[in-house]
Amino acid sequence: MRKQSVISLLLAAIFAIVAVANVTNHNARATTPDVPAALAIGSTVPEFSLPDADGKTQSLSSLKGKNGTVFIFVAVQCPVSNAYNERMEKLAQDYKARGINVVGINSNVAEPAEAVKAHATTNKLTFPILKDPGNKIADQLGATVTPEAYVLDASNKLIYRGRIDNSRKGDSITATELRDALEASLVGKPVSKEIAAAFGCSIKRA
Amino acid sequence: MSSLTRPLLLTLGVLGLLLSFTAPAWGREPRESHAARTPRGKRAALKPEPAVRVITAEELGPLLRPKDARPLLVNYWATWCDPCREEFPDLVKIDQDFRTKGLDTIAISLDDLAELKTEVPKFLRLMKVRMPVYLLHAADPEPSIKMVDPTWGGALPATFLYDARGEIVYKKFGRFDTAELRAAIEKVMSKK
Repeated sequence: MRKQSVISLLLAAIFAIVAVANVTNHNARATTPDVPAALAIGSTVPEFSLPDADGKTQSLSSLKGKNGTVFIFVAVQCPVSNAYNERMEKLAQDYKARGINVVGINSNVAEPAEAVKAHATTNKLTFPILKDPGNKIADQLGATVTPEAYVLDASNKLIYRGRIDNSRKGDSITATELRDALEASLVGKPVSKEIAAAFGCSIKRA
Repeated sequence: MSSLTRPLLLTLGVLGLLLSFTAPAWGREPRESHAARTPRGKRAALKPEPAVRVITAEELGPLLRPKDARPLLVNYWATWCDPCREEFPDLVKIDQDFRTKGLDTIAISLDDLAELKTEVPKFLRLMKVRMPVYLLHAADPEPSIKMVDPTWGGALPATFLYDARGEIVYKKFGRFDTAELRAAIEKVMSKK
């Protein structure tokens, strides 16, 4: 009789273990993507500081332009981001004189500051590129793609989020949402298209 | 048989049975045995290498509607996208394991048209792909991205699982977790 109770106890224990394992396993299966919510248009981006590719600490207040700031999430290895190198540099040059600063942000965990620096030198990117360890800024903005631009007006309010233009290779550009947003902002007009999906590589988060 | 051996055997039997139900869900890696059980005839009937069909943005929508009330798995990828290439063998395996059980899987390449005869078939051959593959040829990919899912930012890879009614029941931007995706498929298949 005693042996039987031992067996019953054993059985109950096994059932319990299996049940717990199943519940744990089930909870681990999230069906929603682990992408942070995108920062809403009109939100203010708070002050932050991050190291640049040289390891020097930079902050939003030290980098922002008098008339606005463009963050572009970039990558060392993404072919789409790389296809935009020249266009990003041109954008930075064109708008610097008009009081808007372009700032690159690299949030890819697998691309260290040295790689970012070497890549910028090779591709003649002269605008500052921040390294975003732990994807702090990427999470805050809800950034998932490279290349993708975020336009802040003079008071750091988000007025545009999305692609640079519609053509990866640059040979069939028919939409230039980023430049349109900057032009509208410079003349004090509302941005007509505030969000344009950016096609490209996933940001590899830490 | 002693009075102790019988309950012990019974316990082991029950344990074995329980494990056989739960072990597949625990496994992080694709199950080899499944592919081996796929009926030979059905696989032989498929073409050895899929011809990649070029589609326009307008042709994408109808492709995303499940056929014959079969759940549908759609993967957006490109040969230049490293995480896409990394996850592709798992996608091929999932297609092998679930196609005969009622799941359709399609892969939609966002490569340039120039890659249609070069990089794309080279990669598909390497992967031994048997699922239908399409290449989305759109001068402007944004309307397609928005049409597929307004929450998709446009990053590759992106994977969507539709139930038999065409509702998205699982989505993943960036490299998918194979165990997580398989669990979602098992779930949607069990609802059929």
